[in-house]
Amino acid sequence: MSVRTGRLAVAALILALPIAARAQTLELATDQSPVGLDPQVATAFSTALIDSNIYEGLTAIDKDLRVIPALAASWTIAPDGLTYDFTLRDVKFHNGRAMTPDDIIKNIDRVRDPKTASPYGSRFTGIKSMEATGPHTLRVVLSAPAAPLLAQLASLAIVAPEAFAELGRKPVGTGPFRFQQWVPDTYIALDRNPGYWDQGLPKLAGLKFDIVPESATRELGITGGTYQMLPVVDASAAATLQGKPGVRILQTQDLAYSLVGFNASRAPFGKPEVREAANMAIDRSQIVQAVYFGRAAPGGPLSPALKEWALPVSDFPCYATDPAAARKKLQDAGVTLPVKLTLNVLGSLQVVVDIAQVVQAQLNKAGFDVQLNVQEQGKFIQDWRASNFEGFVSLNGGGPDPDDYFGRTFATGGATNVFKYSNPDLDKLLAAAREERDTAKRKQLYDQAQKMLACTGPVATIAYATLFAAERDNVQGFAPMPTRSLRYLRETTLAK
Amino acid sequence: MIRALLARLGELLFVAFGVSVLTFLMIRLVPGDAAQVMLGASDTSPEKLAVLRHQLGLDQPLVAQYGDWIWRVLHGDFGTSAWTGMPVIDEIGGRVGVTVELTVLGLLVAVVLAIPAGCLMAAMRSSASDYAVRILSIAGVTVPSFWLGSLLLYGAGTFAPGVPLIGWVPFADAPLANLQRIILPVAAIALPVVATLARVVRAAMVEALGQDYVRTARAKGIGEALVVFRHALRNALIPFTTSLGIMAGYLFGGSVVIEQVFALPGLGRLMVGAIVERNYPLIQAAILLATAVFVVVNFVVDLVYVAIDPRARAA
Repeated sequence: MSVRTGRLAVAALILALPIAARAQTLELATDQSPVGLDPQVATAFSTALIDSNIYEGLTAIDKDLRVIPALAASWTIAPDGLTYDFTLRDVKFHNGRAMTPDDIIKNIDRVRDPKTASPYGSRFTGIKSMEATGPHTLRVVLSAPAAPLLAQLASLAIVAPEAFAELGRKPVGTGPFRFQQWVPDTYIALDRNPGYWDQGLPKLAGLKFDIVPESATRELGITGGTYQMLPVVDASAAATLQGKPGVRILQTQDLAYSLVGFNASRAPFGKPEVREAANMAIDRSQIVQAVYFGRAAPGGPLSPALKEWALPVSDFPCYATDPAAARKKLQDAGVTLPVKLTLNVLGSLQVVVDIAQVVQAQLNKAGFDVQLNVQEQGKFIQDWRASNFEGFVSLNGGGPDPDDYFGRTFATGGATNVFKYSNPDLDKLLAAAREERDTAKRKQLYDQAQKMLACTGPVATIAYATLFAAERDNVQGFAPMPTRSLRYLRETTLAK
Repeated sequence: MIRALLARLGELLFVAFGVSVLTFLMIRLVPGDAAQVMLGASDTSPEKLAVLRHQLGLDQPLVAQYGDWIWRVLHGDFGTSAWTGMPVIDEIGGRVGVTVELTVLGLLVAVVLAIPAGCLMAAMRSSASDYAVRILSIAGVTVPSFWLGSLLLYGAGTFAPGVPLIGWVPFADAPLANLQRIILPVAAIALPVVATLARVVRAAMVEALGQDYVRTARAKGIGEALVVFRHALRNALIPFTTSLGIMAGYLFGGSVVIEQVFALPGLGRLMVGAIVERNYPLIQAAILLATAVFVVVNFVVDLVYVAIDPRARAA
């Protein structure tokens, strides 16, 4: 074969027309498989990414973090703040059965059942009674007023109770897309729910989530047009993709944050002074520069995306990095230097591994002696759940409502209080805020809580990333959300 | 000769049996309970766990589990995948095509490039171009294929950003689209093999070209091309064929990494996924199959060897 014909052959291959995408199915590439699809048990981002298309709650959160109606078309709240009357839409589950108020009750009961071990369980323990008052009406009575209930209901995905047993692998919901097929470690396919209650939606025929572990492959896949969307793109990949023909970069502020978590029930982080010293040793702006390439904001206990609630980091004295003062703090606390400790690291996320290495160096400068234990995701979650760690580096989901998020994460016995942190003063503050329906007064209470948590709480919050997504320029109608939900895929279309 | 082949066949069966026992034991020694993984970390109900363990046969003694499994395999029943409930053989059947295409194309590319490159290096040995090709080939041998894969990805992203080079389209659906998307993975998996094989060919050719019969051929006035390709190459192909068999196994194994890098839905990813999920029936069947392929390829190499070298027929 001469050089010339060789070149022609290669050119012919490369010019071969890209095959026409199957009618209007959007192909997305994501880095990891979900750990399971049960929306009431699995809280991983990889799960929420898929489930946010299959399931809905009574309410929903829109991209501006406001509560909007979803499966409940409307509701009324009695003046005492205890009785909520919901009017449900005429909705069918993906298996064809019509949803009834009793289904909602069964869902709430399942989540509250300790045997389900749902991280959302504690959100609904304040419900005293539930009753179907008609074929489409549901009454929920609380034992005490709870301002965040409507926002919390958005997180409760309503599943078909007859599918409870197999939810992890065969989800049955009411959402815009139906589960079709899961080929482990390869792809998950969803197709359009033709009976979706919101007329005319969804507009796509289906979604296909390709599991593509290698970042470079996802990037080449979207520049070449194999994938139409990368729902999560890290900062360095966003910089590479910016300006590539045919690719558009979208961004929003993350509610989730990177953190160093401390086990408050054992040494060395059992002492609040040691936690404070760690906070003083960590240089957040260095991490933002080195790991996030500047595309993140150092933050306190609440995401800067929650504009009405979050305090600026300048309000937290321990955020002024000072390794010498940190070392002194450790000496004053009476611990022997260097303080030896092991941090478990969620190995499946590169950003977490990178942060862990920087944190290790920073802590070691201030009198700690840190070992990193980079773990596979399943093992990490297992240890995390069992509070089997001295400390860990990970990513944690925040929430659109401070009560819900603080309550489950930091209140004594909270569902995701894996830190075994217990602070009676904080518990009192949170209880008071929960019953306070005056927003200005609630804000004051949460300001105090943030100050209490920032320096000696069980978490050293590192940073809230700018979230990037990438889409082909023929994708229309999608908007990324701070919650990472892909809610807007139901309104997305593909132009020819 | 028949006796030699039968003896070889016996060895092969023994290897396959040994691997099946080892695989069976090894995956059961890996920490993590298959039933627990299936239920998900959060579901700790002991009753459900016991029911599932019973369904999967995990409550039986190891020997009974192995006996049961191998008995069914010998009757053509590889069991059902613990994860999807589909017959394991169907799951593998749906994926093996990708890996076979990758391996066969990789091997083809390797043969087509390695033989001329090796001959060229031998014919022009100690010249500048020999050294240049040898340096390239050493680089090729040392570079790991996953790193080469990433490099190719970045290269393609820079030089051919608008071309769909990622993804998997079945050959039967769209042959050209299929080939276009497999260029990079094949390049990544084949280049290290090309380098290794070219070095084998070069060494064998250098030896062959120094033989008396080559001098005789030249003395008879035969053209250099004919001397190289007809007289020397035929003898040099014997070590090449042996290496080729080993390399076929290497390619088949290397596809595990390459499929991961390029997100191809092949047997390699199926196996990695199965191991993560502790999907015992699938792991066992997939590894048994991979072993069988390796063993059969080596058997075929032995046959080819006999065809090339008349002396082997006497043995």
